[in-house]
Amino acid sequence: MALLKAIKNKLGALLKKEQRIKPSMDRQKKEIPGTPESVVEQAKFYTPAPPVAQAAGKSVSEDLPWGYGRDKIVLQVRDPWWMHAYWEVSEQTFGRLKAELGDEFYRARRVLRVYDVSQVVFNGSNAHRFFDIHINEYANSWYIDAGSPGRSWCVDLGLLLSNGKFITIVRSNTGSTPLAGPSWITDEEWMIPDDMFNRLYGLGFGLGSSPVKVKGLWEERLKREITSGALSSLSSPVRAAEARSFWLTVNTELIVYGATELNAKVTVQGKSIKLRPDGTFTLRFALPDGKQVIPVKASSSDGQEERTITPIVTRETR
Amino acid sequence: MNKGYLCLVLHTHLPFVRHPEHEDFLEEDWLYEAITETYIPLILAFERLSNDNVNFRLTMSLTPTLLSMLSDPLLQDRYLRHINKLIELAHKEVERTRWMPEFHHLANMYLTGFYESRNVFERYQRNLVNAFKAFQDAGKIEIITCGATHGYFPLMDVVRPSVKAQVKVAVNQYEKIFARKPAGIWLPECGYNPGQDEILKEAGLRYFFTDSHGVLHATPRPKYGVFAPVYCKSGVACFARDLESSKQVWSSIEGYPGDYYYREFYRDIGFDLDYDYIRPYIHPAGTRINTGIKYYRITGNHEKQPYIPHIAREHAASHAGNFMFNRQRQVEYLYDFLNKKPLIISPYDAELFGHWWYEGVQWLEFLIRKVAFDQDTISMTTPSEYLEQNPRNQVATPSMSSWGWKGYSEMWLQGQNDWFYRHLHGSSERMTELVKVFPETGGLIKRALNQALRELLLAQSSDWAFIMGTGTHTSYAIKRTKDHLLRFTRLYEDIKSNSVDENWLSDIEYKDNIFPEIDYRVHQ
Repeated sequence: MALLKAIKNKLGALLKKEQRIKPSMDRQKKEIPGTPESVVEQAKFYTPAPPVAQAAGKSVSEDLPWGYGRDKIVLQVRDPWWMHAYWEVSEQTFGRLKAELGDEFYRARRVLRVYDVSQVVFNGSNAHRFFDIHINEYANSWYIDAGSPGRSWCVDLGLLLSNGKFITIVRSNTGSTPLAGPSWITDEEWMIPDDMFNRLYGLGFGLGSSPVKVKGLWEERLKREITSGALSSLSSPVRAAEARSFWLTVNTELIVYGATELNAKVTVQGKSIKLRPDGTFTLRFALPDGKQVIPVKASSSDGQEERTITPIVTRETR
Repeated sequence: MNKGYLCLVLHTHLPFVRHPEHEDFLEEDWLYEAITETYIPLILAFERLSNDNVNFRLTMSLTPTLLSMLSDPLLQDRYLRHINKLIELAHKEVERTRWMPEFHHLANMYLTGFYESRNVFERYQRNLVNAFKAFQDAGKIEIITCGATHGYFPLMDVVRPSVKAQVKVAVNQYEKIFARKPAGIWLPECGYNPGQDEILKEAGLRYFFTDSHGVLHATPRPKYGVFAPVYCKSGVACFARDLESSKQVWSSIEGYPGDYYYREFYRDIGFDLDYDYIRPYIHPAGTRINTGIKYYRITGNHEKQPYIPHIAREHAASHAGNFMFNRQRQVEYLYDFLNKKPLIISPYDAELFGHWWYEGVQWLEFLIRKVAFDQDTISMTTPSEYLEQNPRNQVATPSMSSWGWKGYSEMWLQGQNDWFYRHLHGSSERMTELVKVFPETGGLIKRALNQALRELLLAQSSDWAFIMGTGTHTSYAIKRTKDHLLRFTRLYEDIKSNSVDENWLSDIEYKDNIFPEIDYRVHQ
């Protein structure tokens, strides 16, 4: 019987592990998070390329502390279904366990035991249920698929001995997954009929007021958000370039430059321009298709002399 | 008679980016761009509305990091340098586009705009906080606070003293700048975990915001959905976002900013023009960047067409009319349905307006004018004003939530950024330990303790985790997180061994000079 239970647990744990691996692959595949809010937030942080020169400061090579010198496991809730735990266990603690357990230490499996401790003050043995996740000895963090919104959880990092005995190395804080839908609890003073609440619920998510079933609506809203493509329909040259496999743009500009007496007055196409202190000038024009007549006129400061030179430039695109 | 309320909230935030050790720093441009494209256009719109005696009410969260940067003399000088360069470039553009009238008038538009930006900047003594303060004192906008460095609270819950420090440092700064207490707070990323309202209560804050599901999934069920606030058990009010009004502005499908006549964000002359020509106006290392001069409209799936401002402006006006019409219908429907005046909460990132959606500020101004003059179904309000008029609300515990990707914490807790929570939390615990060891102190140790808290707060910015989470151009975010954590760690060790190096401390005090009045003892 005990053996059967152990096998079941192991299977359960293997399944959990599978589940854990899948979403993390999804994460890698996922595009840049596409809510419009995050697109705008990203636009704020728009940097076209990593600022290499600046990032290569001295402190990058220094590293953060390996650990903080205590045995600790921290549980954080990611969403109604998933949690994340990270931990740190000192060499002394492992040394002590090795001394106590002898060879058994090396045969033991490293395990995260996840307890459902909803509505209880957890004392180690009063959880509603628990499940184990087998981890490897190099892992120092794990995403946990708790799969139950609206529950409270506690996690032990421990050793599962070959005889089925579990030894806790370190115990986490308690974390509570949020509900993934509306609460079942109503308030007498602020009572609302179900069908009315259902309509209000749809309205709150901007999904209209038809009295829909509430169940699944929130997931529906999340799905829409992710698949909407967000503001990317506004398009960017980067994305456009990806859409067309090959592309080319060509523009032309015309540089008009010259020199005259230091104190002469110069106009180009009738518009006066400023000379550099040495009497030279440079103008740069975007050059569209067609013919440009560009009279450049210089007058001496006393107004006695005048010279005009008129380049004519034609651009034709084929 | 009005049948409901509209509460527009502009969340105005940038992370603290200030590098006196570098002559030019690319990421400082985030601030300069936001000043030119969002903050100054908003101030100009507020001025026009005030001059025309238009009654309006807006709620704005000005985050402590942004307030610090706007008030910082070094960044003010650098903004002037930045805008002067843009003016120089715009002059060249006016010249260069002389034979292309479709661009020439746009170049002139930018030139005029940049001169105006410089004038506004000088008019408020180079400190735009003065402008926002004046509009708050005139009763037009309600300025609320935010986490000190925009730390994401749900992932700091295991080290509550840090959440307290984020709130207290923010409130203290607010009181000093605005000479009053903040009425409410914008929780960074709308991140809320049940119980954190207690910390807000302790700091004297009366309300905060969540995303829709924060209240829709509250316990017990909220009788009025997102259309009325609920009180947490602490007595702090929670206002939830209305998604119908949100998605009209945010959504790709129905959203206004995707209109084909609006200006295209991604076509900037910093990328489009000849390298040698644009070289003096991009990053000194030679990286092409946005200059802010953009000549095209979104256009759709064809080749981009030149931008035509007066047509875009007409579209902004008609979108404002459409938004108002929809709110009127929404409010009328809800008024009959709820038998109560509904409250519509519409929060946006301020930088959506102007920076991302170029015509957004025009849209906002049209909307405000139309609401004031063209109808009487809805009235604009702020949360404080609403609570004054509607003090009786249901008590419920909102659900853990955020307004980020997928509605919870995944944006800030995923493969690319989960590694750093052990360091953030480890450092937070060390900070708490230091406060216990030094309940009273002075001199060098006190300076070091205060700086340690600054470094810890700076490492906690949700922006770093956000950028890491997007997976592109993450080096700066990683470097910032590490730099602050390493500085914290060294301070911790030096304080413990009583070997603080004053020269080094002075150097990081000079670099990370945020919150000059900070008191490390708020971290407990």
